[in-house]
Amino acid sequence: MLKQPQECNVFTVKEALAAVTDSAPTFTRLDICNRFLESVRHSKVLGMEVLSAEEYCVRTRLPWREDLVGNPDTGVMHGGAIFAMMDQAGGMAVTCRTFPAFEITPTIDFRLDHLRGPAKGAAVVCEASCYRLTNHVAFVRLTSWEEGSDAEPIATGLATYTRLKIDNAGKVVGQ
Amino acid sequence: MNVLKSLIEDCRSGKVEYQALVDHVPYARFLGIQVVSQGDELTFVLPKNDNVVGNPTLPALHGGAVAGFMEQAAIIFILLQMGEPRVPKTIDFTIDYLRAGHFRDTYAECSVTRLGRRIANVHISAWQKNRQEPITLARAHFLLSDDNA
Repeated sequence: MLKQPQECNVFTVKEALAAVTDSAPTFTRLDICNRFLESVRHSKVLGMEVLSAEEYCVRTRLPWREDLVGNPDTGVMHGGAIFAMMDQAGGMAVTCRTFPAFEITPTIDFRLDHLRGPAKGAAVVCEASCYRLTNHVAFVRLTSWEEGSDAEPIATGLATYTRLKIDNAGKVVGQ
Repeated sequence: MNVLKSLIEDCRSGKVEYQALVDHVPYARFLGIQVVSQGDELTFVLPKNDNVVGNPTLPALHGGAVAGFMEQAAIIFILLQMGEPRVPKTIDFTIDYLRAGHFRDTYAECSVTRLGRRIANVHISAWQKNRQEPITLARAHFLLSDDNA
């Protein structure tokens, strides 16, 4: 359920029009992802950050923090915190495909496999790719690992998001 | 006896509230999860709170926060059913988003489809207005055994 505030849509429509006339957008995918992140309170509170954003690949990072721990005996980060970061990363992966247009993309479903627990204190890095974009649905694959050990994923995910176009999005926001 | 085991025994015997078990988990405190018991039934509550908002304009809850809330609810639910309680490890978690989560309190209840020796299979549903209109449905598997698989 990753949604954008109205200001974000206004920004994008204006910028998208500029992109048509100027031929080259004045902002990058990374700019849009960062703007997206700024608008999502829960993701900010988690401490999530965007590392890179390309058409088929978004990388995000979630630093370990005491209050995100799921098991106080081991200090392992809670699966829910990892899920929330990956759900957000998946939304950004769709944004990178619809670029320079910006759309609201609620999650339809999300499956996450936890392959191993990340070590206490380790930041988690997620890579998300929207590998298929249709008129109404976006299909996304995600992988996460402990920072520095990308050969050993800790979690893999598969998700679908639905696309609400700007016109419709205006109605949903409707205020 | 470890802290977790004695906490669970105290919850079962009614010496302490179930909330103490929830508050034992840092991430559950981060989300602000509450638990309400009616007889043997447990309902988990995610009180509306600025920190779980995804879209501030609507405002709508962050899907990830709702998922984390449901996962934690399932973990507490299983812990209370285990003979030798150990924190279950999530193997997989699958969620369907059916309706937008509005900025209001969210409730969740769990049902264990099967509690095996090693694996638990759990369904979780979350709602806001009434149980008949869930906002999300999730299904998860948890590893119960102690080995580091």
